[in-house]
Amino acid sequence: MKQELYNLAESGIQMAKSAGAAACRIGIDTERTVEISYRERKPENIKEASTKALSLEIFVDGRYSSMNTSDLRKDALKDFIGRAVAQTKLLAEDPFRSLPDPKYYQGRQELDLGNVDPDYNTLSPDERHAFVKAIEEACLAKGGDKVISVTAGSNDGYGESVLMTSNGFDGYSEVTYFVGSAEMTGKDEGDRRPAEYGVAVVLQRKDLPKPEMIGIDAARRTLALFGAKKLKTETLPIIIENRVVARFGGGFLQAMFGRGIQQKQSFLADKKGQKVASDKLTLIDDPFIKGALGSRLFDNDGFAAKKRVMIDAGVLKEFYVDWYYSRKLGWEPTTGSPSTLIIPPGKRSVADIMKDLGRGILITGFIGGNSNSTTGDTSIGIVGQLFENGVPVQAVSEMNIADNHLNIWQRLAEAANDPYPYSQQRFPSLVFTDVVVSGI
Amino acid sequence: MKKMTRRNFIKTGASAAAATLAFPTILSRGWYSFAQAEGAGYFEREFGITDGLCRKILAEALARGGDLADLFFEHTISNYLILEDGKVNRAYCDVALGVGIRTVKGEQVGYGFTQELSEKTMRAAAATAATIAAGAVKNPAREFTRIRTADYYPLKTLFSAVPLETKLPLVQAVNDRRFALSPLVVKVNAQFHDQQKRILVVTSDGVKAEDLQPRSYLAAGVVAEKNGRRERAGWNFGGRRDFSYFASAIVDEIAKTAVSRALIQFDAVQPPAGEMPVVLGPGVTGVLLHEAIGHGMEADFNRKKISTFCTMIGEKVAEPFVTIVDDGTVPNLLGSINVDDEGTPGQKTVLVDKGILTSFIHDKISAKFYGVKPTGNGRRQSYQHYPIPRMRNTYMEAGPATSDEVIKAAGKGIYVEDVSNGQVKIGEGDFAFYVSQGRMIENGKLGAPIKDVNIMGNGPKMLANTTMVAGDFQFHQGGTGACGKDGQAAPCGFGQPTCLVRSMTVGGLKG
Repeated sequence: MKQELYNLAESGIQMAKSAGAAACRIGIDTERTVEISYRERKPENIKEASTKALSLEIFVDGRYSSMNTSDLRKDALKDFIGRAVAQTKLLAEDPFRSLPDPKYYQGRQELDLGNVDPDYNTLSPDERHAFVKAIEEACLAKGGDKVISVTAGSNDGYGESVLMTSNGFDGYSEVTYFVGSAEMTGKDEGDRRPAEYGVAVVLQRKDLPKPEMIGIDAARRTLALFGAKKLKTETLPIIIENRVVARFGGGFLQAMFGRGIQQKQSFLADKKGQKVASDKLTLIDDPFIKGALGSRLFDNDGFAAKKRVMIDAGVLKEFYVDWYYSRKLGWEPTTGSPSTLIIPPGKRSVADIMKDLGRGILITGFIGGNSNSTTGDTSIGIVGQLFENGVPVQAVSEMNIADNHLNIWQRLAEAANDPYPYSQQRFPSLVFTDVVVSGI
Repeated sequence: MKKMTRRNFIKTGASAAAATLAFPTILSRGWYSFAQAEGAGYFEREFGITDGLCRKILAEALARGGDLADLFFEHTISNYLILEDGKVNRAYCDVALGVGIRTVKGEQVGYGFTQELSEKTMRAAAATAATIAAGAVKNPAREFTRIRTADYYPLKTLFSAVPLETKLPLVQAVNDRRFALSPLVVKVNAQFHDQQKRILVVTSDGVKAEDLQPRSYLAAGVVAEKNGRRERAGWNFGGRRDFSYFASAIVDEIAKTAVSRALIQFDAVQPPAGEMPVVLGPGVTGVLLHEAIGHGMEADFNRKKISTFCTMIGEKVAEPFVTIVDDGTVPNLLGSINVDDEGTPGQKTVLVDKGILTSFIHDKISAKFYGVKPTGNGRRQSYQHYPIPRMRNTYMEAGPATSDEVIKAAGKGIYVEDVSNGQVKIGEGDFAFYVSQGRMIENGKLGAPIKDVNIMGNGPKMLANTTMVAGDFQFHQGGTGACGKDGQAAPCGFGQPTCLVRSMTVGGLKG
């Protein structure tokens, strides 16, 4: 398949050039995926498909456009590219649009990133079904008579990609992935039917936890929500659980991109080199972690991947600046998108930290909410547990936290020792002090 | 890679229109309007999809004993023109072509899809779908009947017939007018999107339906700067509309609204945190209904007994002046559909009738489960997804009060003008939405502006606590709203009169 993708990419570049493009970048992506879910001990959904798509960026007469299509019939594609080139010529000139200087393609590492499970093709339908059944059975057993509904699922796939430019870059990548999940809905008091999920996402099948662990985790989390109440508004320490830190941290991260800075939509635009968080926050972008979900050897511009310290002990060191916005800003480019993000874990467990704090809120989920990247203001609903004397005593619902990112990250007090393995953001649980948790 | 998607979010981009529309009426253009006439036979003409071929594929999909099978062909062309730093200097085009093949056995679904519309690949996808059943053929496909539908989005001109040279000045005009409105404006971005989605649904229970679903919007954002502080706001108009909708007055309205909304934020304060009365202004605040009740009324959640509303049909859930509707027949609104993605005609479904919970919203699977007719809510993001019950345009009908009476009755609380994000937990009924713009209410009058505040509530409690509804109903006239469920995005519309919710949790900064 690899050669077929290369052939298609070369053909697409040729079509674009023949149509008058001065330069172009093309991506070909294919994926084979299988999804299975079970409910009430029988298959609920079975889905299987293959996809192939072509994306093309066109540079002509100082102008730029991009396109994406799944209609790969040769004549249709040729016609589509021809029209796209012609229409690009009608747009306004943009002096900052070009393919990158090829010097940024240099220095690509030759590493096995562990992105592909060599035994993927040996995974049988029976094994998939057995895996999902085991998840469901474990969730049903743990949930016991509180279960209203359990849905267990698996999703796996194999994808290949080629990225090629008309100024000398080409890169190939492939990936396998495996997902196991369960969602339980339970019968609580009155009409309340709490639901939570357990999930694992890995690139190598051997890294999946036992299916029973996924099912048990979903049931344990659902049962923990029983009896949830809205409490009175109070200023408390909070612990954001590892698997949901990325959602809250996303409000900070979105202000670190070149486009937002150039478009005056970033509250971090003038903060490079300044303290934007407490000493406890270090953020590392590491594309070379074997088996990690964000590992890569090159980015979407074709830049050779590099490990970067984005925030060092609270000091903002880098932004995500792709080739285009680097030219608009007059800055040196870094990379346009994160790879695997790391917040170095601390030494203590969440349980030990809760004991130390005494009273606070452990946030296990968020609901609604948003973050204003221009001002840093954020407000978001929470789901979790009030803990007292270090022990969870009351599930909470219909409550909210609000702050400004430039303030709340200064009150980051500690990172726990539990980096979340099933995400591109390998963040540990984080502790913040003096947060207004609003309720009654 | 597919993400583990949590259900139910809404991004509405910008907010409600100023104009109040009459209540929905079916357009009088009758059957086979321009769009449908142009669309009839499209897939046979362009891709050789004949009835005979469809029968072969359906036979394959039913070969192992499925109850029902359907084919969903899609050819969608989407265009985006983007203005940044004063020039329309970026265009993006996306083409989606493929067919999804579904086999249903009871409540079980087998699904395969392919982007190559050859008999060989389609039969292979059908064979995948068929594996949900394990037996012999029980329900062979019936003869197809082409269904006739009303046209809720007639087009004067297809977007493919509008030259790029005609679209470009429209986007440029937003930029030019906005900078002229205030010296505080430092950045403008704008986007024009048009889409032509052609679908063909062929089902083994004898339905053949074609549709051409347009979608378009003109959206813009503005950043203003004052004394070193920056604020941002946006606005858009759109829906299932053709190019003729985007006249000069629309451009003016977008420019004026975006600028005024950005400037007012320099005076915004943070409301206190805690429970207080909340008044929802007319229009886009219908997002609250979408979250508080709409998702909970989707029948897949109810047949699985995971919705908090699953036992409440026939019960009083609100005051008699509260009627809530999900409606696919509102002319040109974003969530309107002539036919759903299972071949059921678009229609209007009353969810709460004068305070009584009356109906869920159904796809074919849930309708069969409950022994009712499908309500035309079987929708999907694309051929890569199987249909599930989804909302269309969800709104609360006008009530007896005036907006001044509602605000006065609130006494002290907050008034919501614009929202940008929402989410619900189906089983608990807890929901949240993000207020990007609003006002304090002090002594029964509108006060200082507020912004960037999340509001939390519980669906059944919110309905019970809706104590006043005004007569100033408005539909949200935006074109960017999309609802997410089970990893699928679908365009949805909203509507709402001013109403008072006695108590909700406001996520302010101070206790």
